[in-house]
Amino acid sequence: MKTKTLVIIISAVLAISLAASAILYFGGERKTAEIYVDGELLRSIDLAAVTETQTFTVETEEGANVIEVERGRIRVSDADCPDRVCVRSGWLSEGDIPIVCLPHGLVIRLSSGGEVDSVSR
Amino acid sequence: MKRAAALFAALVMLITAQSCASSEKTADFFAMDTYMSIKAYGGGDAVERAETLVFELERKLSATDGASEISAVNSAGSAKVSQETAELVTSALSLCELSGGALDISVYPVTRAWGFTTGDYRVPQEAELEELLRLVDYTKVTVSGDTVTLGEGMLIDLGAVAKGYAGDRVTELLRSSGVKSALINLGGNVQCLGRKPDGSRWKIGVQDPSGSGYVGVIEAEDEAVVTSGGYERYFELDGKTYWHIIDPSDGRPADSGIISVTVVGASGLACDGVSTALFVIGKEKASELWRENGGFEVVFVTESGEIIITEGLSGRFTPSGGREVSEVIRRNEN
Repeated sequence: MKTKTLVIIISAVLAISLAASAILYFGGERKTAEIYVDGELLRSIDLAAVTETQTFTVETEEGANVIEVERGRIRVSDADCPDRVCVRSGWLSEGDIPIVCLPHGLVIRLSSGGEVDSVSR
Repeated sequence: MKRAAALFAALVMLITAQSCASSEKTADFFAMDTYMSIKAYGGGDAVERAETLVFELERKLSATDGASEISAVNSAGSAKVSQETAELVTSALSLCELSGGALDISVYPVTRAWGFTTGDYRVPQEAELEELLRLVDYTKVTVSGDTVTLGEGMLIDLGAVAKGYAGDRVTELLRSSGVKSALINLGGNVQCLGRKPDGSRWKIGVQDPSGSGYVGVIEAEDEAVVTSGGYERYFELDGKTYWHIIDPSDGRPADSGIISVTVVGASGLACDGVSTALFVIGKEKASELWRENGGFEVVFVTESGEIIITEGLSGRFTPSGGREVSEVIRRNEN
């Protein structure tokens, strides 16, 4: 019985890791937006799975950013920071240029990178 | 059954350990008034030490931090600084000279008058600019030992080179900690160490100066990719756009027909200073400067959206989104 159990467990573990690797390699349309405040991951959203427009507010000690999510994209739709650069950045749907709100320490970026590793700006 | 459970746990740990050994370490933080990201493969706690290093450099070099070494020089006109700061000022001065003054670390009084250091933007009067321009002359900045001395009333700011220098220092730190592969982005200044873990070159996008995507992709290894663009910091007044890169010859935002310059080269410091200078002098003079000085390559984006590259980037710059390279600048003009 022991040998059998071991074989089953080992096979199960191997199957799971193979499946996990396959998902990582062939995941395709994975597009996750990550929202950071002062470097801490606050929330991550699978943009491919969004079915209808959602709006929520991220409150920090410095102020508030209203975030809007649609299928495949995300933006800051309103904010009470002085420069509103985050709002003017518009929709984030590809690439690795994050939406940044410097005054509030807020960063929204896509985790699946896209076709470039980094962007010079 | 106990043994089976132990074996299962051991297997899980083994798999986890394997994925950790090859996994990346990242640090994302705000410093030097911008967003920074360091990603390295291996090297223990090198990424954390690199982050600390950037904050240390900021404290020394920031012209807006009253406690920095640069502020000490600015307020007293002459001050003893750390050896590192003295060397950086010396390097920055040679870039000013190389660019014929298109880069000038003493343009700070003018930049400040436009409000770019505080965000209280305004358009200074002509008379005010003329008055301030008398204070702008990098040849009157001297470094003797560890003492930096300015001419009467002058102020310096290393903003045009500090991020590039920080990129070099971070790269050195990671390399000496055994990191073979790393990607550093300090507020848009990209610096690559080695190649990607899979052995291919890093793909670095060049930001589209008039949109949210990028104009093209540069393949890079062991080098810096630094862009100067008017879109980084600007304000609009009465329908006119004023950006933060000031032409030291007239004290006004540079107006050379170029809206973005990307410089690729081994030294982040040099790329940073040179990109600012080329943005100021425009394409023709920039081409001359490039021919006279080796060691860097350039991507220009003009007001009309043309993409111009120097010949060293042929074959490793790929325009994006149906764009085309309109001109390749060659070493030999014929």
